[in-house]
Amino acid sequence: MTLRFLLPLLLIAAPLAASAQLADAQVRLKSAITEVLTVADRAGNRSALPEKLRPVLEKYVSFETMTKRSVGPGWKQFTPEQQQQATQLFSTLIIRSYSSKFTPGEHPTITYQAAVEPAAGRVDVPTSMVYQGSHYTVIYRMEQVLGWRITDVVIEGVSLIANYRSQLDAQFKKGGANAVISSLTQSVSRPQ
Amino acid sequence: MNIRASTLRLLLLAVSPLLTDCSSSASKTAAKPAVEAASTATTTAKSKVADKAGPAKVAAKDEEVDEYATTTADVPDPLQPLNRATFWVNDKLYTLIFRPISKGYELILPRPVRKGIDNAFENVKYPVRVVNCTLQGKFKRAGQETGKFVVNTVGGVGGIFRPAEKIPALANLPDEDTAQTFGKWGIPSGPYLVLPLLGPSTLRDTVGLAGDYALNPVNWPYLYWYGSRSKHDWVVAPPSANTLRALPAQINRYDSITKEAVDPYLSARSAYSQSRAESIKK
Repeated sequence: MTLRFLLPLLLIAAPLAASAQLADAQVRLKSAITEVLTVADRAGNRSALPEKLRPVLEKYVSFETMTKRSVGPGWKQFTPEQQQQATQLFSTLIIRSYSSKFTPGEHPTITYQAAVEPAAGRVDVPTSMVYQGSHYTVIYRMEQVLGWRITDVVIEGVSLIANYRSQLDAQFKKGGANAVISSLTQSVSRPQ
Repeated sequence: MNIRASTLRLLLLAVSPLLTDCSSSASKTAAKPAVEAASTATTTAKSKVADKAGPAKVAAKDEEVDEYATTTADVPDPLQPLNRATFWVNDKLYTLIFRPISKGYELILPRPVRKGIDNAFENVKYPVRVVNCTLQGKFKRAGQETGKFVVNTVGGVGGIFRPAEKIPALANLPDEDTAQTFGKWGIPSGPYLVLPLLGPSTLRDTVGLAGDYALNPVNWPYLYWYGSRSKHDWVVAPPSANTLRALPAQINRYDSITKEAVDPYLSARSAYSQSRAESIKK
C-alpha cells in the first residue's frame, strides 16, 4: 500500500532505462566507427587493413554471434572446437569483406538516426551515410554480448548475416559441420 | 546478320539498367522507411519462429540461432542449374571484357567528372521514376521527383550537379522502377533468373526491365528511328554512353557481393532478393 506512490516513478523509470540503453548502444557504435577510421587512416595501404582492423573490430563486434546466426540451427551440432574454428574463419572473411569496402583516408559522413529497440537487449542503430558522393542506408544491429556489440550490418536492406546464412545453410545441408568449415577454409585461402 | 547485330546491340544497351540492378537505388534512399522495414522484418521473423515452435522454451532457444530463417527466404529458384551456368558465363564475361573496360573508363576520367556524368544520366531517367511513382499512387513523391528534376536540370546545368540534394524535401528520394511497381501491385516475383550479361533478376523484374527501357529517354531516339538506323547512327550513342558510365558501379557492386562469398551464386541471389524486397517497400 505504502509502495503505491512508487508506481508513477516506475512508469517514468522504465522508458528512461530503455532510452539509456539506446543511448549506450549508440555511443558505443560511434566510438567503434571513430576508432576504425583512425586505425584505417594509419594503416596506409589497403592490403594492410584487415590485420590492422582485427583487434579493433574484435572489441566491438561479436563474431561468435555472427557465426552462430550465419550457420543457423545446425550450429548446435558443431563441437565446441568446430564452433571455435568456424568463428575464427568466418571472422577473417567478415573483416576482409568489411575492409574492402573503404579506402583509407576517405571518411564517410555519417548521420545517426534515432535508435530503436526491436527486442529486449537489442538495439538497431540506423545511419545514413554519404561516401564518395553516394548515399547509403546502413543499419547496425547491436546486442548485449559482454557490453553492446555489433551483430549484423544491414547495407541498403541487405543483411550481411542473412546473406551468409543462405550460403552456409546450403553447405550444412550438404555435409554438416565439416562441409561448413571446409567451405570457409576454401574462401579464406582464396587469393585476394 | 542484321538481326543479330541489332540484338547484340540491344543487349549491350540494356546492360545499363543493371547487372545486379541496385547501383542506382544505392545512391539515393530514404533512411526512415528502411528502419521501419527492418524492425518489422525482425518482428515478423520472431512471431513466425514463435508460431512454429510449440513450447515457449524451444521457441526462445531456436530464435537464438535461427532468427535469420525467415529473412533469408529467397526468391524461388527452380531453374538453378541453368541459372548457375549463366552466372558462370557472366562471371567470365565481367572478368574478361567488362572489368577491363570499366577500369579503363575509371582511369581516363577523374571521379568528379564521372560523378557528373552519372548525375546527368540519372537526372534524365526522370520519366522512369515519375511514371512509376504515379502508377504506385505515390503522388506526393511524383511531385517531389518533378521538383528535383527541375531544380537539377535548371540549377545543375542539365543535371550534372545536384543542387536538389541541398533541399531537404527533395534530397535522397528512393529510386523507383517498373518492376517495383509490379511488386507494389502484388505481382509475385516469379522464379529467379540470371540473365545473360545483366545478371540477377526474376521473371517479374525482367518484364519490368522492358518498361524501364522504354521509359528511359536515352533509348528514345533509338526506339523512334528503329528500322532506319543507317541514317541515324548516332542514336546508339546515348544508350552506349549510359551503359559505359554505369559499368564501374555495377562491377564494384558485383565484386563486393561475390568476392568474400562462400558460394558467390547464392550470395548474389540473396543480396538481390533482399535488396529488391527492400526497395519495393520504400
